[in-house]
Amino acid sequence: MQAKSIHGKSTQEINAALEESLKDGYKPTLAIIFMSIKQDRKAICKLLDSKNIEVFGATSCGEFIDGHQSEGEIAVLLLELSKEYYTIIFEDIGDRTLEETVSNLANDSLKKFTNPSLILCSTGINQQSEFFKGEEMVSFLKKSLGLDKLFFGGMAGDDWMLKGSFVFTNKKETDEGIVALVLDGDKINLKGMAVTGWKPLGITRTVTKSKGNLLYEIDGKSAVELYLKYLGKEDKITETNFKVFEELSMEYPFIVKRDENETVLKTPMNIDNQEKALVMDIPMADGSKFWFTNPPEFDIVEEVIDKANQLKQDTEEQADALLIFSCAGRQPILGPMTTDENEGLAEVWKTPMAGFFTYGEFGRVLNGKQNFHSGACCWVTLKEKV
Amino acid sequence: MNQQLKIILDFIQQSENLSEEERTSLIKATKDVEKALTISEFKLERTEKVKRTTAILLEETIEELEQKRKAIEETNTALQQSLEDLKATQSQLIQQEKLASLGQLTAGIAHEIKNPLNFVNNFSELSVELIEETKDELSSISDQLSAEDREKVEEAVEILHDIEMNLRKIHEHGSRADSIVKSMLEHSRGGTGKLEATDLNALVKEYVNLCFHGMRASKNPINVDLQFEPDENIGEVPLIAEDFSRVIVNLSNNAFDAMREKANCKDLQGFENLGGLDAYHPKLTIRTHQQNSGISVEIEDNGPGIPEEIKDKIMQPFFTTKKGTEGTGLGLSITNDIIKAHGGDLKVKTKEGNGSVLVISLPNSESRI
Repeated sequence: MQAKSIHGKSTQEINAALEESLKDGYKPTLAIIFMSIKQDRKAICKLLDSKNIEVFGATSCGEFIDGHQSEGEIAVLLLELSKEYYTIIFEDIGDRTLEETVSNLANDSLKKFTNPSLILCSTGINQQSEFFKGEEMVSFLKKSLGLDKLFFGGMAGDDWMLKGSFVFTNKKETDEGIVALVLDGDKINLKGMAVTGWKPLGITRTVTKSKGNLLYEIDGKSAVELYLKYLGKEDKITETNFKVFEELSMEYPFIVKRDENETVLKTPMNIDNQEKALVMDIPMADGSKFWFTNPPEFDIVEEVIDKANQLKQDTEEQADALLIFSCAGRQPILGPMTTDENEGLAEVWKTPMAGFFTYGEFGRVLNGKQNFHSGACCWVTLKEKV
Repeated sequence: MNQQLKIILDFIQQSENLSEEERTSLIKATKDVEKALTISEFKLERTEKVKRTTAILLEETIEELEQKRKAIEETNTALQQSLEDLKATQSQLIQQEKLASLGQLTAGIAHEIKNPLNFVNNFSELSVELIEETKDELSSISDQLSAEDREKVEEAVEILHDIEMNLRKIHEHGSRADSIVKSMLEHSRGGTGKLEATDLNALVKEYVNLCFHGMRASKNPINVDLQFEPDENIGEVPLIAEDFSRVIVNLSNNAFDAMREKANCKDLQGFENLGGLDAYHPKLTIRTHQQNSGISVEIEDNGPGIPEEIKDKIMQPFFTTKKGTEGTGLGLSITNDIIKAHGGDLKVKTKEGNGSVLVISLPNSESRI
């Protein structure tokens, strides 16, 4: 498998970069595209279609390749990979349930390969501003695909507009669905890891009243009041248009206990003033134990890179390509160091890389189970077995 | 870009004295500095922000924990109080159980003793009568007897007289034994054993008056000035009324006995009541008090007081200062047991020659069974 990464501010620039990459006789079969919602998806897809390159795409909240990070642009990882080793499955949920959709995806994957591994992107938010249920998707996929199967990916972004994100292929796109690059696990090896860096702060809290995505009470007290008061925004309790996500929860989500020794970040997206409740991105059931959080320390970048290095040394493996699904929430916390994190990973694997800032991540923490993540840097290498 | 760095960069770019290699190297170094500066500024700003927020969160958490600590402390105090109440209740229950066991035992023994004792008393009394009849019979025929026989009869009458004296002693002590047995039976007689709301002031007054009139109707009445000083704030108090009335009766009777002793005191032969040069006026004062800690009943007499050396013994069963058949020594012991069974205690304040105050302390109703 040979990979090349290109980027551009427009379809024309991508066209130019693509032509440049093909000069040496390079014949990519597949393009993994992460692009801003502002860019012309159809034009890009048409361009790649004209080159007989299959498209696996997702809109982003900032995108990057090795050596270049941008906002509002296009990042592409080109792969020259035998068509026997992969297929792209596009699932628009439409009138189906998420479970039916995921089950269909899993069945098609298993029909294609006995040991499928998946790179997948789901939408993050639809045009009705409803969040995609990433946690449920992972749960259904584990059930349908089997616990031993690997999948990594992220939820599409829309440059923080929260008005609709998309996944797409050459001919199709949706604001509520999944696109999966299904690989033959016997031929292509996936290796990756998810690291968050947010740490619990203070005492264990318990959800005492919630319904769906609405969180009403924490330890018997108003969740809205407790959250704002404890994070120094007591004066905003009575303010009806306080933008809780932008001003607070992006940095201070909750960290919730799950499985064995694993946690997940759950973030208040806004405040329902009628219901006097926090609207969470992921439901928090009654009785859930969680903590307030301390954002990642700056040394998290070194930790992410060190762990990648360790994995590389332990497995003694190389990579043909690297994909990074980094939570959009990491940017405000780590600032310019987010670039260092991504570049550092590319440097570890010394391979072409592409990635984007996501609204949620799918992957495994070190020695962990397949899970949904939030706030994570989730990376995966692709290596064709010889 | 930082203004100063921009000046440096412009200078490097415009300088004609640098080789192209040097220029490239210096531009790269300047850009690296710019990057490091940006990162440092970002770190500083974020560290400040995170520090502020974390401090508020920790302060709020500490305050919350402090409130929780106080709540736990209060709960702990309440639990401690409950534990103490429980221990007191347990102690009361043990006392009641002891009383019940002792009662059953004494009732059994008393019942068994009472029948043979009846025989002893009845037959000794009957025998005295028979001896008196015999003596009368012998007296009626003595005129008809010879001097020798009369002498023999007189000797027989003397022997009969001794026997009669012995029988009277037997009867006297038998009667005392009977009195003890009756007292034991009275002690063991079980009531309902249930605490019922009772008007304490009314009960105390009723039974003190009852004793007073009983004392007045007895062989050795004395004049006593009765004073009641009830605390009207005391309403109904949970009591086992039949038991508690026995307490009042016992303590009142003791007070009357003590004051009678002082009233009849003979310091010099042929002279009475010289204990003090002033005339002695027996006086019994009954007080009740409602306090935060509980309720108290004081029975104060101005009798001779209790000598220091026996003060510690008066609560012991069968200890008595009364002579002959007058006391069984069970009165105060039973009284003390009954008060303990109510969760209270009995204290004695006394000064020899100046009377005694017996103080019954009862706990507040909410801390009882």
